[in-house]
Amino acid sequence: MNLAAIVFAAAADGADAGKAIALALGIGLGALGAGVGIGNIFGSMIQAVARQPELRGELTGIQWLGFALTEAVVFYGLIGGLLAFVLV
Amino acid sequence: MKRVFATATTLYLLLPQLALASTVEGGTEEEKFDPSREWLLHDWVPIHLGPIDLSITKAVAYLMLGSLLTILICWFLMRWRLKTDPDRRQTVGEWIYEVAQTQIAEQGLPTKAIGRWFPYVASLALFIWVVNMVGFIPLPLSDEKVTILGVELPALGIYAATSTLSVTLTLALLTFVFTHVEGVRNNGFHGYFASWMPAGMPKLTLKWAIPLTLLYLLEVLGQFMRLVSLSVRLYANMLAGHMLILTFIGLMFVLESLYLAPFSVFFGTLFYAFEVLIVVSIQAYIFAALSAIYIGSAIEPEH
Repeated sequence: MNLAAIVFAAAADGADAGKAIALALGIGLGALGAGVGIGNIFGSMIQAVARQPELRGELTGIQWLGFALTEAVVFYGLIGGLLAFVLV
Repeated sequence: MKRVFATATTLYLLLPQLALASTVEGGTEEEKFDPSREWLLHDWVPIHLGPIDLSITKAVAYLMLGSLLTILICWFLMRWRLKTDPDRRQTVGEWIYEVAQTQIAEQGLPTKAIGRWFPYVASLALFIWVVNMVGFIPLPLSDEKVTILGVELPALGIYAATSTLSVTLTLALLTFVFTHVEGVRNNGFHGYFASWMPAGMPKLTLKWAIPLTLLYLLEVLGQFMRLVSLSVRLYANMLAGHMLILTFIGLMFVLESLYLAPFSVFFGTLFYAFEVLIVVSIQAYIFAALSAIYIGSAIEPEH
């Protein structure tokens, strides 16, 4: 199968392919950013607790707040992808 | 007692398998597996008041169940037979109260506003937690029917009312309205809306009119983005959690191979545990904490 065949096959089913790409890109790029962000938050938390273990109680609340705020970014991507999938 | 409880829970969780087996035996219809069908809301009890649709759907039934359970749990833990030396039940109630006070209310609300707004944020946290939790317990509240021993019963399904955007948007709108009402009540109309402008801006002269207006519009947009982020965060978390579990279990039916069962059941259980142990509590906490922060920042603007 050469490249032209793939392109024509995609073009024949272009609308659905575009939707699938939109959904996958929405989730994938969202997950990329959120993964970096969540890693950052937990990394900083480990450092902070290693330096000042007595602050763990106060930091835990802030840590989960940051975690949830960052994690939600994936879902904005997901919702954007779903909107593209359903509406377009 | 503990053993009886564990056995009963296991048997209850095995019930879906029974339902599954009975449909396979009956071999009624070959339907394509589609997890999004779980979010179709059919009117169970149609109530139409003019243009307003107040029909009772699956989401409404789950909401009613959630509110009832919230009231019962709080009454049982924090109102019923209180003693000066608390037993275990009362200790749990006091622990919930303390978490709601120190972790949620005092994080965001200024001291003078805690008396007025603590009940709101605490009940928000408890209500969302209970509704989320109820969403992960298999309950016979679904549109699918299953026949067991000749009796047609609603199939067990998992569905959370908070995985519907209208529910979470209503909760977010409550916070949104309260935020601005409190802001105007405490700072005056002009004082509150002027406080949206960041501190240290130049005076409003002709030269600065356009940049300052754009900046202010950005702040107004930011207020509405809070509404979107607050509602979509909870909605999408619960939606994605249920969708993941359903998709992994449904992989067996899509690929039509029972050999996938160990794989898909294992990952389904893994995500189930992740959702129940972490996401449910985190989302309830976040929603309430952010509501407290938003209301608190409107009562006492930083500048």
